[in-house]
Amino acid sequence: MTLKKHVILGLSLAMLAFSCSNDDDNTNLPIASGAYEDGILITNEGNFNQGNGSVSFVSNDFSISEPTIFSTVNGKLLGDTVQSITFHEDLAYIIVNNSQKIEVVNRYTFESVATINSGLNNPRYMTILLGKGYVTNWGDGNDPDDDFVAVINLQSNDVITTVAVGEGPERIVSNGTAAYVAHKGGYGQNNIVTVIDANASVLKTITVGDIPNSMVFDALGQLYVLAEGKPAWTNDETAGELSVINPTSNTVTSSLAFAKDQHPAHLAYGNAMYFYMNGSVYKFDTGIKSVPSTPEFTGVNFNYMTINEGVLYGVDAGNYTANGTLKTFDLSTNTSKNSVEVGIIPSGIYFN
Amino acid sequence: MKRLFYIFLVFVIGNSTIAQAQLDSIQQLDEVVLSDNKLKLYAKGHKITVLTDSVLQKNNGTLTDVLRYNSNLYFNENGYGMVSSVSFRGTNASQTAVVWNGININSQLNGQVDFNTFNTFNYDAVEIRSGGGSVQYGSGAIGGSVHLSNALTFNTHTDHTIRMGYGSFDTKRANYRLSTGEDQWSLNLGVGYVDSENDYKYLGSSQRNLNGQFNNLSFNLNAGYFIDKKNVLKLYHQSYIGDRNFSGTRVAPSKSRYEDTNYRSMLEWGMFQNDFTSKLKVVHLFEAFKYFENKDADRYSFGNVASFIGNHTLNYKLNSAIEVRSVLEFSKYSADGDSFGNPSRDAFSTTGLWRHQLSEVFNYGVNIRKEFTSGFSSPVVFSADAEYRINRSYAIKINGSKNYRVPSFNDLYWNPGGNLELVPELSYQVDLGHEFSSRFMDVKFNTYYIKTKDMIQWVPDHTGLFRPQNVSKVRNYGAELELILKYHLNGHQFNLNSGYSYTVSENAETDQQLIYVPFHKASVNLSYGYKAMELFYQHLINGEVAIIGGQLQGYNVGNLGLSYHYTMFDNLATILQFNINNIYNSPYENVALRPMPNRNYQLQLTLKF
Repeated sequence: MTLKKHVILGLSLAMLAFSCSNDDDNTNLPIASGAYEDGILITNEGNFNQGNGSVSFVSNDFSISEPTIFSTVNGKLLGDTVQSITFHEDLAYIIVNNSQKIEVVNRYTFESVATINSGLNNPRYMTILLGKGYVTNWGDGNDPDDDFVAVINLQSNDVITTVAVGEGPERIVSNGTAAYVAHKGGYGQNNIVTVIDANASVLKTITVGDIPNSMVFDALGQLYVLAEGKPAWTNDETAGELSVINPTSNTVTSSLAFAKDQHPAHLAYGNAMYFYMNGSVYKFDTGIKSVPSTPEFTGVNFNYMTINEGVLYGVDAGNYTANGTLKTFDLSTNTSKNSVEVGIIPSGIYFN
Repeated sequence: MKRLFYIFLVFVIGNSTIAQAQLDSIQQLDEVVLSDNKLKLYAKGHKITVLTDSVLQKNNGTLTDVLRYNSNLYFNENGYGMVSSVSFRGTNASQTAVVWNGININSQLNGQVDFNTFNTFNYDAVEIRSGGGSVQYGSGAIGGSVHLSNALTFNTHTDHTIRMGYGSFDTKRANYRLSTGEDQWSLNLGVGYVDSENDYKYLGSSQRNLNGQFNNLSFNLNAGYFIDKKNVLKLYHQSYIGDRNFSGTRVAPSKSRYEDTNYRSMLEWGMFQNDFTSKLKVVHLFEAFKYFENKDADRYSFGNVASFIGNHTLNYKLNSAIEVRSVLEFSKYSADGDSFGNPSRDAFSTTGLWRHQLSEVFNYGVNIRKEFTSGFSSPVVFSADAEYRINRSYAIKINGSKNYRVPSFNDLYWNPGGNLELVPELSYQVDLGHEFSSRFMDVKFNTYYIKTKDMIQWVPDHTGLFRPQNVSKVRNYGAELELILKYHLNGHQFNLNSGYSYTVSENAETDQQLIYVPFHKASVNLSYGYKAMELFYQHLINGEVAIIGGQLQGYNVGNLGLSYHYTMFDNLATILQFNINNIYNSPYENVALRPMPNRNYQLQLTLKF
C-alpha cells in the first residue's frame, strides 16, 4: 500500500511541477488608466461564442491606445459579441448581444454601474427618447415573429415595456420626438423602418430599400436611410437604395436607386453625406439626384465608418480572427491620417 | 453522495464469495478477431494502439473520455457531453477518419465525427492507427484514424453483461450486452442508455452548467452465419439517437437544443476459396440533425445525409510471403437540409494493397488508391510502410503516405458561402517509430512530419461574407512516447500505461502554432490490483493552447477509481466500480469559457452471466 501511495504521489508531484513550469511567462497585461474622457471608444464584437468581445480606447491624438478597457477596469470579461454603445448623460450602455445583456458603465472611467440582463433577447442597438432607453431585439434569430423593442427605465435599469415590431430590428435613432428603427431583417432580409413614439407605440411602418443598414439625420432633420439591397447569394439580388424620410409626415420624400450589383453601407454625415461601397468611400451632397460614380478614396475595407469634425474614422476587421485596425482620413484632403490596432472584429466607433 | 456510498456499502458487505483470478481474465488483452482485419495486416509499419475492454470500462463510456486518457489524441469538448472534436497529431477535426467496422463514417456534412456519440461499451475494441491512411480509409485519414470494431465469435456460448451506473449530476447509465452463438452462427447485441442533468458547478464562480442536459441511446446488433464452410454472411448495425441541450459559455447563456441520429448498417458476404478471400459489402449510413435555437420553441434547422456504399475486396495470398488485395468501392451520398438544399455526390475508388514478408525480420507494403468524385477531382494517393525487426524485443516501423480530405457538403453547398470551386486538401506525411517490448515494459517512440496544403478555411471575402477557400498551408511535426510497465509479484499487479506527446502544428506562412493544439499533452494510467480489488489512477496534463486573441491555460486533471470483483452466485460475476473524477477539483476548460465538471462521483455495477 505505502509503495503504491508513494508512486502515485511522486508521479503526480512530478507532473504538477512539470506543468507549472510553463505558467510564469505572463504576457504584459494592460494597465487601466481609467481616464477615457478625451478619446474614441471602439466596440470589438469578437467571435461569436468565443467571449472575446471588448471595448478599446484610443486617445484623440492616437498617442495612447488601451485594449479591453472594460475587463481591465472591472476585472471581468465584457462578454460575447459586443454589439454597440449608447451614451446617456455620464453613462455608457454597452449592448452585449450574445451575452443577452447591457453593461452600464461610467463613460469616462468605465467603472461598472449596473448590468441589465433580463427582458432582452438578442439585443442590438439602443437610442434614448425622452429619458428612456429603446433597445432593438431580434428575439430568437430563427423566429421572424418575436422581434421587439425593449423600453428601459434608465433609473431602475429595468425593461418596463416592449414594442412588437417586424423582423430584424437593427439600428435605432431618435430625433427627440420619435425613434426610428431600421429593419435589416436579422437572419432574413427586411425593408422597413418602424417609427415608435415616446409612448412606446408604433406610429407607422415605412417601406424603404432592402436591408436598411444605416440612418442619419441631416442638418435639417431629414432622415436618410441607406439600404444595401439583397446580396447575390439570396438568388434574388436587389439594388441598394437611399431613402429620405420626412419626420413630420413620416413618408419617403425622395429616394435614389443604386445599380443592381451595388451594395452600399455605413452612411455617415459630416459636411456632406458619405457611404462605403466595395472598398471605396463616396461622397454626395444632400438633395443629390444620382449616385456618385467617383469615390473620394479607395483601397479600404471598412466594417463600419463614421465622421467626426472633418475626419472619417473607419474600422477594418482584417481576417476576423486577429486584431482589427482603426484608420482615419482627413476629409479636406482625402488623405490617410492615423492607424491603430484595436480588438477582434471592430464594428463601432464612439466619441467620448 | 451519501446515497452512492450507501449503495457501495450494501454491495461490499452483501457479498460472500470473493472470486479468484477474475482480474486476470479482465486485464489480459484478449486477442479478439475483429471485423476490420486489414487494419493490422496491411499496416505493419504503423503504430497501432489497441484499447480493449479493461481500458474501456475505466472511463464512463464515451469515446472522448476513453481516448483523452489513453491516447495521444487531444479533444475539444464544448462542455462535458457536448460536441467533441478530435485533434490527431495537431491536425484538425476533419483530418481524422473514424472507421466503424472497416467503413469510414466521418460526417458528410462537416467532415468530422462527434466523439461523444459513441458508447464504447458496445464495442469489443477501439484501435488507434497513427499516420496517414487515406489509401485504405479514404478522405480525412490525415493525422490518423480511430477504429471501432465488433467481433463475432463462432462457438457455442451465451454471455450476458449488464452494467448500471449512477453518479453526480444525476447521471444514469444502463447497458446490456448479449453475445451468443454456435459453430455456425454468432450474434451480439448491445444497448446503452445515458441520461444526465449535467448541471455541474463552474468552479470559482456562482454559475452552473445550466443548459447541458443530455441523453442518448445506442443500439448495436451484429450477426454472422456460415452458409457453408466457404461462405459467411455478416450483418453489422449501429443506431445512435441523441438529445442534448447545448451548454452556453461563461459569458453567453444558451437555450439551444440539438437532436442527432445516426443509423449505420452493413451486410457482408465473405467467401473463402483456397488462397482467395472475397468480401462483398453493402452499406447504408444515415446521419441527421435538428438544431433548436430555443429548446422551448418548435422552430429548428435540419440537415441529413444518406450514404449507400458498395464495396468489394479481394484478398489473394500469392505465396507464403506475399499477399495482395484489391478494393473497389462505389458510394452515393445524398443530402437534404435547410442551409444547403439537396445536393448529391457520387464517388468511385479503386485501391491496390501489397504486403511482402521479405525475410523473417523485414516486411513492407505498398498501397495505391485512385478515387473519382463527381464535382471535383481527387488525387491519386499512395502509401508505403515497412517493419524491420532488429531482435525479438525491438522493431523499427516506418511509413510514408500521401493523403487527402475532400470538401464537405457544408464547404461546397452551404448557403451563403458554399464554394463549388474547392479542391481536396492534400497532405504528405512520414512517420518513424521504434517499438520495444519485454515482459515488463513496452515502449513506443514515434516522430512524424506532416505537410498539408490547400487547407479549406472559411475566410471573409471582400463583402465580409465568409466562404471556404483552399488557402492555408500547415506543417505538423512532433514526437510521441508511449510507455507501458507491467509488474506482477505474488498476486500484486502493477500496471502503468502512459503517453506523452509534443506537437507542433503551425501555419506554414506565419510559423504560428494553430489554435487549440497544445505543444504538450501527457496522460498516465496507474493501476494496482490485488486479489479482487483494483485501484487505478488517471492523470492528464494538457498544456496551454493558443486561442483566437489569446491563450487558454493548461490544466491537470486526475481521476481515481476502485473496482471490486466478486461472485454472488455461480456463474454470476460482478464488478463494482467507484470513480472519483477530477479528484483535485481543478477548474479547467478545454474550449475557452466552457468549464468542465468539478469533482464528481460515479458508481458502476457490472454483472456477467
